[in-house]
Amino acid sequence: MKQTAALPQFDPLSACVHCGFCLEVCPTYQLTGDENNSPRGRLRIWREEAAGRLEAEPMTDFYTSECVGCLACETACPAGVPYGEIFEKTRHEHVATGRFKPKLELKVAAMAVGYPALFNLALTPVRALRSLGFLPHPLVFPGRPAVLESTAAYARRFMALRKPDGPRVALLTGCLMEAMFREINFATVRVLIENNVRVVIPDDQGCCGAFQEHTGLDGVEALRAKNRQAFDGHDVECVVSNSAGCGFALAKTLDGKPPVRDVLGFLGGLGIKPRPRVAGNARVYVDLPCHLVHGQKADGIPKAVLDATGYEWELAPCAKDCCGSGGIYNIQKPENAREILARKSAFLDDAAGEPVILATSNHVCMMQWNSARSLVRRPFQVHHVIQLLDPGEKALLNS
Amino acid sequence: MTSPAQMAGYASDGLGYKTFPPDAVVIPADADDLARVIAVLKGVPICLRGAGTSLSGGPVAAQGGVVIHTSRLRAIRKICPEGLWCEVECGVNLNRLDQALAPYGLCYPPDPSSGPVCTIGGNVASNAGGAHCFRYGVTGNYVLGVEVVLLDGSVHRFGGPAGGRGRWQEDWKRLMIGSEGTLGAFTRFWLRLTPRAEKAWTFRATYADLASTERAIHGLVRHPAFPVAIELMDPRAVALVESSSMAMGLPKDHFMIVTEIDGPAALVDRRVESVAEVLRSAGSKDVQFGDSPEARKNLFQARKAMGGLLGQISPDYLVQDAVIPKRALAELLQLIYDEADQAGFPAVTVMHAGDGNLHPNFLFDSSKPEELEKVEGISKRLMERVVAVGGTLSGEHGIGNDKSEYMGMVFGPDSLRLQLAIPQIFNPRHVFNPLKVFPERRFAA
Repeated sequence: MKQTAALPQFDPLSACVHCGFCLEVCPTYQLTGDENNSPRGRLRIWREEAAGRLEAEPMTDFYTSECVGCLACETACPAGVPYGEIFEKTRHEHVATGRFKPKLELKVAAMAVGYPALFNLALTPVRALRSLGFLPHPLVFPGRPAVLESTAAYARRFMALRKPDGPRVALLTGCLMEAMFREINFATVRVLIENNVRVVIPDDQGCCGAFQEHTGLDGVEALRAKNRQAFDGHDVECVVSNSAGCGFALAKTLDGKPPVRDVLGFLGGLGIKPRPRVAGNARVYVDLPCHLVHGQKADGIPKAVLDATGYEWELAPCAKDCCGSGGIYNIQKPENAREILARKSAFLDDAAGEPVILATSNHVCMMQWNSARSLVRRPFQVHHVIQLLDPGEKALLNS
Repeated sequence: MTSPAQMAGYASDGLGYKTFPPDAVVIPADADDLARVIAVLKGVPICLRGAGTSLSGGPVAAQGGVVIHTSRLRAIRKICPEGLWCEVECGVNLNRLDQALAPYGLCYPPDPSSGPVCTIGGNVASNAGGAHCFRYGVTGNYVLGVEVVLLDGSVHRFGGPAGGRGRWQEDWKRLMIGSEGTLGAFTRFWLRLTPRAEKAWTFRATYADLASTERAIHGLVRHPAFPVAIELMDPRAVALVESSSMAMGLPKDHFMIVTEIDGPAALVDRRVESVAEVLRSAGSKDVQFGDSPEARKNLFQARKAMGGLLGQISPDYLVQDAVIPKRALAELLQLIYDEADQAGFPAVTVMHAGDGNLHPNFLFDSSKPEELEKVEGISKRLMERVVAVGGTLSGEHGIGNDKSEYMGMVFGPDSLRLQLAIPQIFNPRHVFNPLKVFPERRFAA
């Protein structure tokens, strides 16, 4: 009993089977209950328009603009629809043809990130304010960045002092991360060096392109080309990134040459040096960035790494659901982003532990979580997981 | 909502190649809002929709009109652990209900594959089943009561927490279960719950030929462990998994059976060897089983992956939902293979083998009119044979508008007349879901 007709070849572009598994994981479907505001709905609308059965109309533009780009639908999809790719292409077309206009401040920022030195210089006052404890905007979380010393200079200094001889990696320092939240890069350098990792920081690296991808603006290819060149020929095991979103974008750019790893996943594979047990009642709630679990398709942050923080920790409820940041979604669609965050952060009010710490591994998610201070009734801290692993400068030099 | 783009998302259910754009879509905020909408709408067909995962063309505006999307009626209103029941709104998603019941050690057993997204409302409307229904039974076995909005906007309760007992004595809820949206709009349900099984074991075995596969199925259905599920994949289905990224080293030309037993740990642990022996003695050389969550997930993986993999290789597929007497399996499979070969496109067949619910999937491209015509011809001839061997049209997907034309194959004129009389009472002008279940049910303004 056999059939003769052969099975066809895999074709991801015609893959949607309309099963709807994406609906329950889609933040905008959960907000609105509108099928059109879900991946299955958007794919249907785009396909109908592409096939000439539907004319271009404002509602199509609206539903396209509503997508957070969290990619939870890709994880849920049993048919492997490359939603993110299709979405990015469509968004870029919409922006290119004037069907969607990104906010002016985003256009300016997109232009600025193309010139890292200028961008760094322009944000010097913000670094200075943060380092003095002033926070100019609800999205800006507390921290004490170096105002003048760059991560590259810092890494060189500590490499010379500590002389690690283990695996050699290149670090993606990022644009916003370096210009505004440099203290996270410094902590990353310290944790890597403490774990005997040799850190290289390619000088001519630029923005990963995620900003352009999120806004749909032109210029992604130029940024990618620049980074392909910048990360070529350093004789490293991999590039590590401390931002899930930037790491995801760079991984698409470098395509395995060399491979891009999330720094926490990389440390998990090394057997990381633990911090001492934290006494008291503090508890860490770990939120997993969408572009780590749905973009890079990592299982999460390795348990060994989270154990090494020394804190009592657990995953935040719905840890794999989007917080509403979506790169720049909280600027482009503030009401939606706030409602998504309100639902996601509600648990903090009654969460066990004092203080409670929300830890994640993407600076834009940290920004979004920081803005939950006006939604959550009790105080809470926001940290990058790498900061919880940080030995600190003095301890590193004295050990 | 009325714009053409907004209608596009609502044009189909899971049967994606058949599209029926509505004229408008309404998303009510709550049950009162839904009742008001129905009372206000005059002279247009009304179609209720949950998550739109149906595979029979049920929740679509086959004759235009208004789709009412119940996506915002998603409250779990009460869980009563002592009474073993819960009260839920129609838009509650099945897996979320399961998550809510887990802390109480309770479960709602029906488990269609669309559990991560489908809604209770759609499950009741189509009397949905699932892999584990072989032992636990289908949705209808668990509905204690239904709240329905009728055509004039009035709200009625058929049954309640006490089911057919006590204050709500009439058992009219039975009419509502499986009525596919032809009688009224469901807003709320009272569902019977069961304690969660303490322990489960999953088994997987492959067979070189159908005769040994059937021996295994027949052995399993009579086994005192009373398996909760017996799932079958034909060699094409196995080959599909094995040529994908989910390959797990199964022999590509073999049939595959997955079965599960559950119950008190002390009891099921003792039965593991004898179930494995049934599978081995039928002729399998690679029986595997496990009780850890990961092992069980792995053993079920090939079966779970099927639906999505079909989408990866084919623009469209037509899935049928026949229920057949188990003795006719060889005859029906041969017909499916012959028809598919003759038409020149492959068929991938899976089956809830315990209860004879056969799902052949014909892979085709709906953008080629000749392929659509061919596949619909196959579907009809297959159904004729199913009925001829003593089977029926649908096990769990419902009739919708995909199989309504076949009703006359199974039911005689008298039976059809009586069945049609029921929607005539509730819904005389076929405002609710016209052209579904019976092709005669045409809305007349």
